Amino acid sequence: MSRAGSVSVEGLRVSAGDRTLLRDVSVSLQAGDALVVLGESGAGKSLFAQAMMGTLPAGLRASGEIRLAGVPSAVSDVAARRAVWGRGIALLPQEPEQALDPLVTLGGQARRLRMRLGHEPPDQARQRVNAALDAIGLHGTAERYPWQLSGGMAQRATTMLALTGGAPVLIADEPTKGLDSVWRDHVVGLLRDLRAAGGCVIVVTHDLRVARALAGQLLVLQSGEVVERGATLEVLEQPSHPFTRRLLDADPSRWCRYPEPMRGAPLLDARDLAKRFGDRTVFAGVSFELKAGDRLAVLGPSGVGKSTLGDMALGLVSPDEGRVVRHVGPRMGTFQKLYQDPVGSFAPARRLLDTLRDVATLHGLAWAVIERLLGSLGIDGAMLERRPAQVSGGELQRIALARALAVGPAVLFADEPTSRLDPVTQQRAMSELMAAVIERGIGLLFVTHDDDIAAVVGTRILRLAPPAPPAEMRS
Amino acid sequence: MNGGGVGHLDAAAPVRARGRGRSLGIALLVAVTAFALLGPSMLGIDPTRQALEDSLLAPGMAHPLGTDVLGRSVLARLAHAARLSLGLALASALTAAVPGVLLGVLAAWRGGVIDRTLSMLADATLSVPGLLLVLLFAAIAPGRIGALYAGLALVLWVEWFRVARAASRPVLAGHAVQASRLLGFGRTYLLRHHVLPELAPLLRTMLALGTAQGVLALAALGFIGVGVQPPTAELGLMMTEYLPHWHEAPWLIAAPTALLMAVVLGMMLVSPADAA
Repeated sequence: MSRAGSVSVEGLRVSAGDRTLLRDVSVSLQAGDALVVLGESGAGKSLFAQAMMGTLPAGLRASGEIRLAGVPSAVSDVAARRAVWGRGIALLPQEPEQALDPLVTLGGQARRLRMRLGHEPPDQARQRVNAALDAIGLHGTAERYPWQLSGGMAQRATTMLALTGGAPVLIADEPTKGLDSVWRDHVVGLLRDLRAAGGCVIVVTHDLRVARALAGQLLVLQSGEVVERGATLEVLEQPSHPFTRRLLDADPSRWCRYPEPMRGAPLLDARDLAKRFGDRTVFAGVSFELKAGDRLAVLGPSGVGKSTLGDMALGLVSPDEGRVVRHVGPRMGTFQKLYQDPVGSFAPARRLLDTLRDVATLHGLAWAVIERLLGSLGIDGAMLERRPAQVSGGELQRIALARALAVGPAVLFADEPTSRLDPVTQQRAMSELMAAVIERGIGLLFVTHDDDIAAVVGTRILRLAPPAPPAEMRS
Repeated sequence: MNGGGVGHLDAAAPVRARGRGRSLGIALLVAVTAFALLGPSMLGIDPTRQALEDSLLAPGMAHPLGTDVLGRSVLARLAHAARLSLGLALASALTAAVPGVLLGVLAAWRGGVIDRTLSMLADATLSVPGLLLVLLFAAIAPGRIGALYAGLALVLWVEWFRVARAASRPVLAGHAVQASRLLGFGRTYLLRHHVLPELAPLLRTMLALGTAQGVLALAALGFIGVGVQPPTAELGLMMTEYLPHWHEAPWLIAAPTALLMAVVLGMMLVSPADAA
C-alpha cells in the first residue's frame, strides 16, 4: 500500500480573542519526512497539532494556509480537512483515555473504524482487529472497555486506532507518554514504518529519546513562538538558543544521582505479595523491605501492577497472597501518596487554601508551618485562592507534596508523580521531592516506567516483570 | 497543553443561550409559585361556591377566567389547584429525595451486601410501573391526599437512589478521597467536601424534574378520576370537568392546561442541560 503524503503549512497563527497563542509557524514535510516539536507545557505544542488537524477548541481562531498532498486550503477551513480525516490525515491525541469512547469496547471501536474507513465486511474487520491488538500486546482485550485498560494500554490502543485508516500524514501528540522503553521503541518503530512507506509524521514530545530516534526536522516552541529549528540531531547536539539548552539539560538522562541516604529504622516489610484479577495473575512472590531513608524505585512495563503494589504497601489494597508488616503507625498521616495526576487528588470544588487549612486544623498545625513548607517549595500564596483544575500540573504537584509533608509521613508512595510534566518542570518538582525525602528520612516508594529516573532516584530498584502467560494465551 | 485557560472559551456561547432559557424558567416558576401561594387569599373567593345562574360565563371583569358549568370562579379554582399540585409534588419529591440520596450514598460507600440488597430493592420497585403503584395507594384510601403523597414518594425515591449511587461511586473510589483518607479525614469531611459538591448540581436538576413529574402524575390521576376527588380543585380533575365544554367554552380547558405546561416547562428550563 502506497502511503505517499506531504503536508506543509505557511504562516500558521492561533489566537484566542486578541491574545496570540501561536505565531507564524511554517513547516514543510515531503514524503518520508518527520518533524519533532519540543517545548515546555503551555508553549503551544498541542495547539499546533490541533490547528494542523482542524480540531482546535471552539473560541480559538487559526489562520494561515495548509497544503495537504499538494491541495491548498485555509487552516481555518476545517471542513476541507474533515473530509480526509482518518484516510488522509490522522491525529493521535494527547489524552488517550479521553479519545476513546467509554461506552464501546476497544474491539468495537476498532471494528467500526475499519468498516467505515476501509469498507471492510464485519468478519474481516473482526479478524484484522484481533490481529492488530495482538501485535501491540493487547491480546484478548477486544471485549474490554477503555476504563478497564491501564494508561499505557490505552495509549497503545489509541495509536493502533489512529493508524487504522492508513492516513499518510500522522500527527502524534506525545505518543509515548506513560510507556516503558519496550513499548516506546515499539511506537517509534510504527512511526518509522509509516515514514518508510512514504508517509510523514509530526510528533509532539517531551522525550528526547523519541526525538533522536525519529531524527528529521526539529521545531522548538517557547510561549507560542519558534525559538529554534533545524535538523533534529544537529540541534540536539549543538543547541544555539538558551531555552533549547535548558530543555536538553532537564532530560532525566542528564540528571545527577541523588545522594545516598542514611538508613534508619525499618518501616515496612512486604513478603510474597500477589495480586490477581479473576484468574489473571498480575504479580506474585514480590518481597521487599523499606527502612527510613530508603528509596525504592519500582520499575516495570505498563499494566504490571506497579501502582497496585504501592497501594498494598500503604494498606489501600489488600494482597491476595502474602502480607505487609508495618512497623510504624497507626498514627494519622503516617502513610502518604503522591499521584500521577495531581488534579485528581484534590477535592475539585474546594479552594486549595481551604483544603490546606483543613489539613492544618485536623493535625493541629499552625498555618505558619504550612506557609513555610509552601514557601520552601516555591508556591506563591495567591495561587491557593484557586481551585485545583486552575493551577498548572507542576505547581499543583508541589502543593500536593507540601500537603503530604505537612502531616509528617514516615512512608511516601510516589506514583509516577512527574510523568505528566515537561522536562524543565519535572526536574524542578523531582529535586524538591528528593530534597524533602532526604532531609526528613522518609521511606520512599517511587513508581516509574522510566529507567533513567529510576536510576537516579532509587537506592534500590525493584523490577516487576509480567508473569509468563498461561499456555492457551500464547499465539 | 492548551489547559484550562482555553476551556472556558468554547463553553461561552452555549452558556449564554442556556442562561436565557434559565431566566425564563425562573420567571415562569416565580409567577406560578406566587399565583399558588398568594392567589387563593388575594382573590378571597371560595373555589367551591356554586352560582348556577352564572354558569359558563365568558372571561370578564368579575371572573377573569370565566366560570364553569356550576358557576364557580375558574381563577379561584386554578389558584387552589396550583397550590395543591405544586405543594404535593414538591413535598413528595423532597420526601423521596432524603432517603433516596442517603441510601444511594450508603450503597456506594459500603458496597457488598448492602449495595446489592438496596439495588435489588430499587429494581424491584422499578419493575412495577410508577403510576400503577400510586394507583394502588390511591385505591387503598380513595380520595385521600396522604395516600397520593405516600405513593408518589415511594415511586420517586428509586431515581434519587440510583443517581446518588452512580454519582458517588466514582468519587468515593477516586484519588481525591483516597488522599483525604490517608491524611486522616473522617466520614463527615469526605461526605461534605467530596461527595456533596459532586451530587449537588445533579440533585438540583432532579428536584426540578421530579417535581414536574409529580405534578404531571397528580394531574393524570385526577384526570382519570382516581386522584383527588371533587369538589376539590385539582388540575387533572379540572380538565376532566371542562373537557365536555371544550366547544362552547374553550377557555375553560385552556386554563389548567396552560398552567400545567408553564410548571413543567419552567422546571425543565431551570434544570441545567449538562447535568441532566
